[in-house]
Amino acid sequence: MSALAFELPHAQEATAPPEARGLERDAVRLMVAERASGRIEHALFRDLPRFLRPGDVLVVNTSATLPAALPAGEGLTVHVATQAPRMPGDRWWIVELRGGHPAPGERVAVGGGAHFEFAAPYAGGTRLWLARFEGDTDLPGHLARHGHPIRYSYVGEPWPLADYQTAFALTPGSAEMPSAARPFTPALIARLVAHGVLFAPLLLHTGVSSPERHEPPYPERYAVPETTASLVNHARERGGRVIAVGTTAVRALESAAGPGGTVTAADGWTGLVVTPERGLYAVDGLITGWHEPQASHLQLLEAAAGDELLRRSYAEALAAGYLWHEFGDSHLVLP
Amino acid sequence: MPTAIITGASRGLGLALARALDERGWRLVLDARGAGALEAAASELTNAVALPGDVTDPRHRGALVALAGPQIDLLVNNASILGPSPQPELAAYPLDVLEQVYRVNTLAPLALTQLALPHVPDGGVILNITSDAGIEAYDGWGGYGSSKAAFEQWTAILGVERPNLRVYAVDPGDMRTQMHQEAFPDDDISDRPLPQESVPALLALLDGDLHSGRYRAHDLKPVAA
Repeated sequence: MSALAFELPHAQEATAPPEARGLERDAVRLMVAERASGRIEHALFRDLPRFLRPGDVLVVNTSATLPAALPAGEGLTVHVATQAPRMPGDRWWIVELRGGHPAPGERVAVGGGAHFEFAAPYAGGTRLWLARFEGDTDLPGHLARHGHPIRYSYVGEPWPLADYQTAFALTPGSAEMPSAARPFTPALIARLVAHGVLFAPLLLHTGVSSPERHEPPYPERYAVPETTASLVNHARERGGRVIAVGTTAVRALESAAGPGGTVTAADGWTGLVVTPERGLYAVDGLITGWHEPQASHLQLLEAAAGDELLRRSYAEALAAGYLWHEFGDSHLVLP
Repeated sequence: MPTAIITGASRGLGLALARALDERGWRLVLDARGAGALEAAASELTNAVALPGDVTDPRHRGALVALAGPQIDLLVNNASILGPSPQPELAAYPLDVLEQVYRVNTLAPLALTQLALPHVPDGGVILNITSDAGIEAYDGWGGYGSSKAAFEQWTAILGVERPNLRVYAVDPGDMRTQMHQEAFPDDDISDRPLPQESVPALLALLDGDLHSGRYRAHDLKPVAA
């Protein structure tokens, strides 16, 4: 995948929600890339019903975005990725200190008399640390009062948390918005339902992506309900296509799928890394945004689209002025 | 409830031993490099704390010992790396890689042991997983083998310096593990025993009263119940 290296021109970074550019959420652009024919088509996201068939299943992530960034004074911000798995008690979190380099035992105040005590780098990485939260409330309560959505430098100004929620957001827990579903509006969902497209919910709480580094994805909390497993299995048996909305939905569904493609209910943490070598068991296609060069997500995309179609998609997206990142344009990969 | 730290616990012998101790009701603090594999390993255990990280990082080692709490009854230094696969001859062994092999296989376990020692009670066990490559001169095994030789020698000396503890180096024998496959990249290793077959011998060592020293799993018999 190293060959899919590119310079992302600044003009192609979405610096604000499309609404701020006078567009509705579903008016972002949609590139449709079909693997069987090799064809690439340019459309708008609201044209989605045209590319899906009755009996296709859209697998959607119901995780809601947390206000996961905590100002920590003196140019420092703590980004809370996730509760640390397999730690004693509920005070251990995996966090990133933006703007500084912590040392073991260092305490960083995060408002309201609360602080994080940094313990050790997490998983041998350079940016994520294991840290213990101490405060009057638990961390979710503290975030609700003091946190704001994680925002990277390409987004020029802060936006309200509501701009970071998708139409499917139900259970708070994601450090960053599962943004592939952001362009779905209630009206578009209704049109898809009327068209015969099925929806299957699952949950995966995203960690932090921090686009300037390239580390393997860490374990994330996920749940695939029995009803979703049954619906996906049923649709596959009937020839319906399983289209994951977002790389998070791919990771969750594939974590619950066997090599034969059968999905069973699951609940836990997933460390799955989807690569072209592993391939996809249950997912036939996906809707996603445009990803950073060399991001590990590109491996997952290659598993879905194949190397050649993925390269052409990215080349066309760059040439045609598609917008990147969580407020940007979309990419539908069909089998 | 006794507490053990096990490094390299996400697969192979480390995971097999973790499962066995978990069944016996031990509290476990587990380490491995890969966060995903370690989480998956810990998820099947009842009382395991798991911290992914790099044993050569002093900050990581400090956190492992802190998570273990005031008493560490058993430290299993199991994490190690083979080095390049296939392994180069010594005449062409890249020295920067050799340094890394020594850091992981020889120095990191000593550093973790140093941190743990104040918490290990009388009769507590340091269990260092070694290999016959640490004592035999196998063609191509100069890097890994010499790292294990030094590992074994400090194990032996620590046993003399700390007569109140049981300090063991154990050769588990050939096992069907990822490392063994790396050592023999072109071989079908499916005839080698699975790592869990070496576990009863390790448990026998734990349960027994053998003096500090070097043992082969093959020679150790489980203690009769």
